[in-house]
Amino acid sequence: MTVRTLARPRTGSVAGTLALLALLALAAWAFADLRINVATLADSASNAVDFAGRMFPLDFPPAGELLRLTGQTMSIVVCATLLSVVISVVLAVPAAGNTTPHRGARFTSRALIVAARAVPDVVLAIGFFRLFGFGATAGVLAMGLHSVGMVGKLYADSIEQIDEGPRAAVRAGGAAGGQELVAGVLPQVLPAFVATALHRLDINLRISVVLGFVGVDGLGYAIATSLRELDYRRGMALALVVLILCVLVELLSGAMRKALLRPGVTVPPPRRAGQISPQWTTSRIRKTGYAVLTAIIVLASIWGAGFSVTRFFGSLGDLGHTLGLFLPPEFIPGLLADLWTTVKIALAATLIGAVLAVPVGALAARNVAPSAARYFRLLIVCVRGIPELILAIVFVVITGLGPVAGALALGVGAVGLLGKLVADSLEEVDAGVEQALRATGASRWQVFFSATLPQAAPAFVAHVLYQLDTNIRSATLLGIVGAGGIGFQLLNASRVVEFGVVTAVLLLVFGTVLLVELLAVWLRRVVR
Amino acid sequence: MSAVRFEGVTKRFGRTVALDDVTFDVAPGEVLVLLGLSGSGKSTLLRHVDGLHTPTGGRVHALGTDVGRARGGKLRDLRRRIGFVFQQFHLVGSLSVLENVCTGALGRLRGPRLGLLSYPRAVRVEALEHLERVGLAPQAFQRADTLSGGQQQRAAVARALMQRPEILLADEPVASLDPESSAQVMRLIREIAGERNLTVLCSLHQVELALSWADRIVGLRAGRVVLNEPAHTLDHGAATAIYGTGALAAAA
Repeated sequence: MTVRTLARPRTGSVAGTLALLALLALAAWAFADLRINVATLADSASNAVDFAGRMFPLDFPPAGELLRLTGQTMSIVVCATLLSVVISVVLAVPAAGNTTPHRGARFTSRALIVAARAVPDVVLAIGFFRLFGFGATAGVLAMGLHSVGMVGKLYADSIEQIDEGPRAAVRAGGAAGGQELVAGVLPQVLPAFVATALHRLDINLRISVVLGFVGVDGLGYAIATSLRELDYRRGMALALVVLILCVLVELLSGAMRKALLRPGVTVPPPRRAGQISPQWTTSRIRKTGYAVLTAIIVLASIWGAGFSVTRFFGSLGDLGHTLGLFLPPEFIPGLLADLWTTVKIALAATLIGAVLAVPVGALAARNVAPSAARYFRLLIVCVRGIPELILAIVFVVITGLGPVAGALALGVGAVGLLGKLVADSLEEVDAGVEQALRATGASRWQVFFSATLPQAAPAFVAHVLYQLDTNIRSATLLGIVGAGGIGFQLLNASRVVEFGVVTAVLLLVFGTVLLVELLAVWLRRVVR
Repeated sequence: MSAVRFEGVTKRFGRTVALDDVTFDVAPGEVLVLLGLSGSGKSTLLRHVDGLHTPTGGRVHALGTDVGRARGGKLRDLRRRIGFVFQQFHLVGSLSVLENVCTGALGRLRGPRLGLLSYPRAVRVEALEHLERVGLAPQAFQRADTLSGGQQQRAAVARALMQRPEILLADEPVASLDPESSAQVMRLIREIAGERNLTVLCSLHQVELALSWADRIVGLRAGRVVLNEPAHTLDHGAATAIYGTGALAAAA
């Protein structure tokens, strides 16, 4: 006779669950340790009133100056995005498994893309600033090279996802290698390439403000200067300008994406026999218009950034010397304590983010809240639209310099990304299971907790871990504006020309992110 | 001289033997059907003619060239002279029909091309003529993915014509189409073959269609040639026999 027992849980999944619980406990402790509680917030409420007094009336710079700053920021951002697109296209072809000429080439280009992502843009900016001095070049190179980490990876991925059929057909027609790429591959990936570039443009605009704090010219630099002089009226006015600029750029890039990527389905037949070019329909005029507009913006940006080729190559001669300044890494005392603060900020922010984003995300999912989903989606999009840096500056001014501001800014900002991911993964669950439960007479809440949530739970874990990873990087950056943690050391080090410390910070943050990433990979595998 | 010659062609993918000692000739201007079940090696054999596969053993000659040994410019020039029509059409969905047809001219043009206007005027005029021939001139500027299956396959035929081919290979050209479109496409290929004196190798699995359409039928089973007869001497029973009794039972 066999003895029936309950199936024993796998050791891996037990360890995974324990690790998750430990992370949760750590996050809760970090939350308490940073003294983020109702009392602190209540204390800050009076600060907020005080802050409002110091902030209003907003003090905008004169129109000419404002225009110059905006133009400077936009030309740096556009040039940086263009640079990243050019480098990414060159790297993505050998990095994609189906277009690579050689395994070694594939490995090398993949490694370059990962390296570009690993070095934060702020660190690049500090280095290039030393090399090229004040001006556009440092910002363009820093953002452009770092962006390759994202753009190059997405480009390589989209090349790998093409339908090989058309390409085989072009090859079968006797096309050479380059012709095959342009006629068989490029048309398939072009929509994704354009969308990614426009998306990166939005991101770079936000980042450019942070780079202002380490000396890259434009709106960010002006904000940094005003905040240093405690001129909040000017600083917040400029922050508002950045916010409006972000919204405008997002609207424009959204409209472009739509016009360039939506197929013009109704094309009239040729008007006369033998006509060999399509006639000018509204959709063709619009597409061409956007293409011309893009070309004008790009050319104006290159002109506006004001590169000097001679100065560029002149400074490039100092590359060896400048790199030397960053070595050896200098682990000054207090660095580890600050790193720990950054990790605590990231943990607390992830906890705040998860607590806010899970209900918001659930309400934004069509299958959970059919009638409210649209409004919550809109809320998520709005939160995502606000640069974290602006949030951080606001919280710094309200709660004072320090980690609480950083944690609150990142926590609120997380609703933008995490809320979207939660909503998406809830919408992706198998609707059949929900229907089956509904058919048994289960209520809406019962369906949610018994069918929808369990299916989406593994995805939640993955998304929250991803958010933690993002938050550690962001917490480092926000330190630069005074939101606590190791980022402040980064800013100080670049001010007092202690580049060895910059390298030490880079290594510490890199190590931490790597650890979190390994943890995430392991947890994703064992928690299913 | 024959247009295509297979000499003891063997092809292995790892341990799988896809083609086993295939030997036969195709005369210039002949319309030949490769008949067999899926997995019998029809597609693999066709792809050898174009150099998309190279044989593990034996040789393939096309238009007087040893395909397996041709490299670089020589191989591309050979491919330029051989049109290929695929089961899944393989048009670039986001490009216009006319632009898709123009890509057929890449073999004789130099340099990469992006956008319809990057093709010389003469190429576009010729592409439009081919589209008129296949009855798609009114759809010239539509995106290829807005066409029906039958229309897409006719556009693919126009693209093959753009190569000014001497041989046309068609791999199950109507397997994804409804009966009406199928009949239209097969009639079109047959007519064009006659007009241009093309040598045609077409793989099919429908016995009736093959009998009424081909000059000659070569049957493949498990990578081996099991039939090689003029179509008019064959009857339905003899042709179906290549599928073996198991297949007949499965079909019934």
